[in-house]
Amino acid sequence: MKVSLFITCLSDAMYPRVGEAMVRLLAKCGVRLDFPTVQTCCGQPAFNSGYWKEARESAKTILDAFEDSDFVISPSGSCTGMIHHYPKLFENDPVMLARANKLQQKSYEFTQFLVQVLGVKDVGAVYPHKVTYHPSCHGSRLLGIKEEPLELMRHVKGMELVPLPFAEDCCGFGGTFAVKMADISGAMVTEKADHVLETEAEVLVGLDLACLMNIAGNLRYRNEPVKVMHLAELLYEGVKQA
Amino acid sequence: MSAPTGTKVPPTVKGRADLALNDEFLRKAVKFTTERLRNGKHAATAEHGNWEEWRERGRQIRLHTIAHLDYYLNLFADNARANGVHVHFASTAAEAVKVSLAIAKQVKAKSVVKSKSMVTEELHLNHALEGLGIEAIETDLGEYIIQLAGETPSHIIIPAIHKNRFQIAELLSKEAGETLEADTTILAGFVRKKLREKFLEADIGMTGCNFAIAETGSMVLFENEGNARMVTTVPKTQITLMGMERIIPSWSDLEVMATLLPRSATGQKLTMYMSGITGPRRDVDADGPDEMHIIIVDNGRSNQLGDPEFQELLNCIRCGACLNACPVYRHIGGHAYGGTYSGPIGAVLTPALQKNVGDWDDIANASSLCGACYEACPVKIPLHEMLIYLRRRKQEGGHRDLAEAGGMKGFSAIMGNSGRFKGVVKLGKLGQRLVSRNGEIRLKLGPLKGWNSYRVTPSLPKQSFRDKWGTLEEELRHGLNELSPDARSRMEQLVRSREQDGGGHGHG
Amino acid sequence: MAEQTHEQWLEELATDSRRKQEAFMNDIAHKLKRPRVLEKPVHPFRGAPDFWQEYEWTLEERTQRFTANFHSNGGHVSHLSTMDEAKQFIKEKATELGARYIIRQNQPELAEMKLEEALPNVSLSVWNSNENENWKARAAEADFGVVVADYAAAYTSSIAVLSGKDKGRSVSLLPTVLIVIIPLERLKTKLGEILIPLDEAGRESLPAGIHFISGPSRSSDIENDLTIGVHGPGVVYALLVG
Repeated sequence: MKVSLFITCLSDAMYPRVGEAMVRLLAKCGVRLDFPTVQTCCGQPAFNSGYWKEARESAKTILDAFEDSDFVISPSGSCTGMIHHYPKLFENDPVMLARANKLQQKSYEFTQFLVQVLGVKDVGAVYPHKVTYHPSCHGSRLLGIKEEPLELMRHVKGMELVPLPFAEDCCGFGGTFAVKMADISGAMVTEKADHVLETEAEVLVGLDLACLMNIAGNLRYRNEPVKVMHLAELLYEGVKQA
Repeated sequence: MSAPTGTKVPPTVKGRADLALNDEFLRKAVKFTTERLRNGKHAATAEHGNWEEWRERGRQIRLHTIAHLDYYLNLFADNARANGVHVHFASTAAEAVKVSLAIAKQVKAKSVVKSKSMVTEELHLNHALEGLGIEAIETDLGEYIIQLAGETPSHIIIPAIHKNRFQIAELLSKEAGETLEADTTILAGFVRKKLREKFLEADIGMTGCNFAIAETGSMVLFENEGNARMVTTVPKTQITLMGMERIIPSWSDLEVMATLLPRSATGQKLTMYMSGITGPRRDVDADGPDEMHIIIVDNGRSNQLGDPEFQELLNCIRCGACLNACPVYRHIGGHAYGGTYSGPIGAVLTPALQKNVGDWDDIANASSLCGACYEACPVKIPLHEMLIYLRRRKQEGGHRDLAEAGGMKGFSAIMGNSGRFKGVVKLGKLGQRLVSRNGEIRLKLGPLKGWNSYRVTPSLPKQSFRDKWGTLEEELRHGLNELSPDARSRMEQLVRSREQDGGGHGHG
Repeated sequence: MAEQTHEQWLEELATDSRRKQEAFMNDIAHKLKRPRVLEKPVHPFRGAPDFWQEYEWTLEERTQRFTANFHSNGGHVSHLSTMDEAKQFIKEKATELGARYIIRQNQPELAEMKLEEALPNVSLSVWNSNENENWKARAAEADFGVVVADYAAAYTSSIAVLSGKDKGRSVSLLPTVLIVIIPLERLKTKLGEILIPLDEAGRESLPAGIHFISGPSRSSDIENDLTIGVHGPGVVYALLVG
C-alpha cells in the first residue's frame, strides 16, 4: 500500500516543520509516507484567477507524482479541495479526466485521513494550553471536514479548546484576492484576528497554512503574541510532551 | 449611479469598496444587520429541520422549471391571459420601459405607487416615468427612504441597510416640512400617513413578482408591510414586472418556495403577507384593479440558458441569504458592487446578464471564494464556482490584466517543473536577505505593498521540506510502528471499492 | 384618423404580445439546444418532500402552535367557544379602543352575529352591500375590519382570506385593527393543506386575491428596528372559535 505525501508548495517552501510533524505523526500510527519529488503546486492560484491553461501545467505535476499512489495525504483542505476541481479543469481531455477522477478519489486532507481512514482519534498528545480553532472555508465547506479536527482536539489531554466567535467566517486570504483587493482582505483578516484575541487563547490552530499565514501575519503586525500553528504541529508537539 | 446624486462614484469595485471601508457607520450598520439576518436564518432553518432536504427539493423544482422554461412560461402566459391579464413580452430593458410607459400614457396616469421590485430597478423605470411627468412613489419603507435620498437599494431585502435613523429622520423631516424625531415609530408613522394618501390617489399600482404559477396564471408576492397588497388592491390599473425565470409549475411547488424564501431572507417562518393574485378584479368584486398587465422581462436572462456553467443562476429566488453570509459584502456594503444586484449573486448576475465581462472589470475579483454564499443559498447555486468561471472567461476573452497574465505565465513555468520550483525557492532565500529581519519581512513595496499593509510576511526557512526529506526518511526508516489491522483492512477495502465502482469520497 | 378606443388599443397590444410570445418561446428552446417542449413534462419533484406531506398535528397542537406563532409575530389570539363569545369580544374591544367605524365582510356567519344591534353607537358598514358606495374609502376610514377566515395554517400561523363579491381584499388591509374569526375546523397544520387544493380546484375556480396573513404589518427597514403597522393593520386579533 503506497501512501504518499502531497506536501503543497506553501508547506514545502515556507513551513517544512508542518510537513515534518505530519510525517512523524503518521509514522507513529504505522504509516510510512512516500514523497514523490516531481510534485510542485496544485495550481489553485492560477485556477482561481481564471488561468486554467497555466493551472493545468502545474496540476500535471501532481497527477504525475501520485499516479501509483493508493492514498494521497496533504496538510491542506484547500489544496486537496483543488484536486476535487481537477475533473472540471480537465473536462475536455478524456485521458487526463480519467486520471483526475482517480486522483480525486484517493486524496485526503490530513485529519480526514487520520480519523476517517486510520480510525485514529487520540494520537496520545498532551498540550496544557488554551487553544482556539479556525475552520478554513475550503476544508469545511467544500470537503465537509467539520468533525474530524474537533474529534482529534477533544482527545488532547490538558488542552482547553475555546470556541472562536464567527469561526466560520473567511479570514480574507483568498489567494490573489489578498493582493488584488488588499484593503477588503485587510479588513477581513483584521476582524478575524480581533475575534481570535477575544478568546484570549494562547494558540490559534487550523488546517490550512495559507489562512494561518494570513492571520498570523496580521497578529504579528499588531505585535500580538498569539502562537499560530497547524493542527499537525500541535499534535506532534503534544506527542513529544506526553 | 448608486451614491447620492452629485457625488463622484469611482469606476471600479476596488475604488468603491475603499470608500465603503472608510465609512465607519456604513460598515457597522451593514455588519449589524447582516449578522442578525444570518442568525435569524440559522435559527429558523434549524427549528424547521431537514433543511438539506428542503434545499435539494427547492433546487430540483427550480432546475426542472428552467430546463422546461418554454413550456411553463408559455403555459403561464396563456393562463394569465385567460384570467383577463394583459400579458406583454420584453426582450430588453428598453422594450419593458416602452410598454410600461405606453400603459401609463394610455390610462393618463399622474402617479404610480410601487412595491418593491428589483426588475424595475434594473430598468431604471422610475426615471423613465418621471421623464413623462408621472410621479413614481416607492412604498416599501426602506425603498421610500432611499428614493428620498436619491439612491438605489444596497441590499435586496433591506434596501436602506446603509442608513441610520438620524439620516432617515432628516430625509423624512424635509418631506414632512417639520422636524421629526429620530424615533422609528414616529418615522414609520409619518410614512404610513403620507403614503396612505398616495395609495388612495394613485392611478397605477406597480409590483414585481416573487413567483408566477404556470398552471393557474397566478402571481405571488411575499412582503411584511402590506404595501404590495395596497398596490394590488387600490389603484385601477396594476402593472407587474416579472423576470422571465420567476416561474414555478404549481401552488404545490409554492409550498417549497414559501418554506425556503422567508427563512433564508429574514429568518421568518413566513412573511406577514403572502398574496396570490389571479387576474384583475372579477366583475362582481368591489376592489382590486380593473385592468392588470404583466410584463415578462428577459433583459439578458435567457443568455444563461444552455450555458452549463451559468444556467443555474436562473434558479435564484432573490432571498439575499448570500449577501448576509458574505464576509466581503459585510465589509463593503451593496453600493460598492456598482450594479442593481449586489453581494455574491450580484457579482455573478450583473456581468452574466449584460454579457460584457470585460466592462465589469473587477467585480468577479471581489470575492475570497470562501463558499459561504453557496452554503447559504436555499437552492444551492454554486456562486463561488461561477465567480471562477467568470474570471476564466474574462481572461480568455482577452480582458487580461497584463501584469497578472505575466505572473501566471511565470507561475506555470515554475510550477510545471519541480526542478525550476526548487530553484526559485532557493533564489527567494537569497533575495530575501535584503529585506528580512528576524525571520520577518515588513517591507511595504512592490507586490508586498497591499499584503504588508495589514500583515508581516514570514521569511523562507533555511531548508525547504524537500531539502530535509532525505534525512527525515532515513531517520524514520528505523523503528516504524505497526499499522493497526483495523486501519489496514479499511484501507484495503477503500482501494478495492474504488476499483469496483469508482466510488470515492468527499464532496461532489 | 378615427380616435382609437381603449379596447382597440388593448387588442393591438394583445396581437403584438401573441407574436412576441412565439418568438420568446422559440428563442428559449433554441438556447436550450432542443426543440420546443409542447407537452407537459414529467415533474418528479412536485411539491414538498414526502415526509412533509404526512406531517400532521392534533387539533390541540394546532391550536397551541398557531397561538404561539401568531403571538411571536406580534398578533393576539383568543380561544372562544361560540360565535356569541366572538360577538362579545368584538363589542368589548370596540368599546375599549373607542372604535367608531367598523367594516365587515358580507359573510353569513357575520350577519348572524348582528353586530349592528350590539354596537348601536358604531357606524357599521357591510362590504359591497350596495352598488353606489365607494367601498375602498369605507374600508380605509374604518377603525376595525372584521372577517371570517377561509382557512388557517398553524405551522406558520397564517390566515388565508379569499376575495369575492362579499369578501373585499380591503377589509383585511385598510382598517387600523383587523379581527379575524377562525372556525376551528378550518385550522390546518401546514400551508400545503391550503395550497394543494388550489391546484386541484384549477384556474377557473380561483378568486382574484388569495391572501395569507401571519400577523400585523411590520417593517425592520429602519436600523433593523421592528415597527408594527407600517401600511396594513398594526393590531390583529385572531379569534379561534369552536
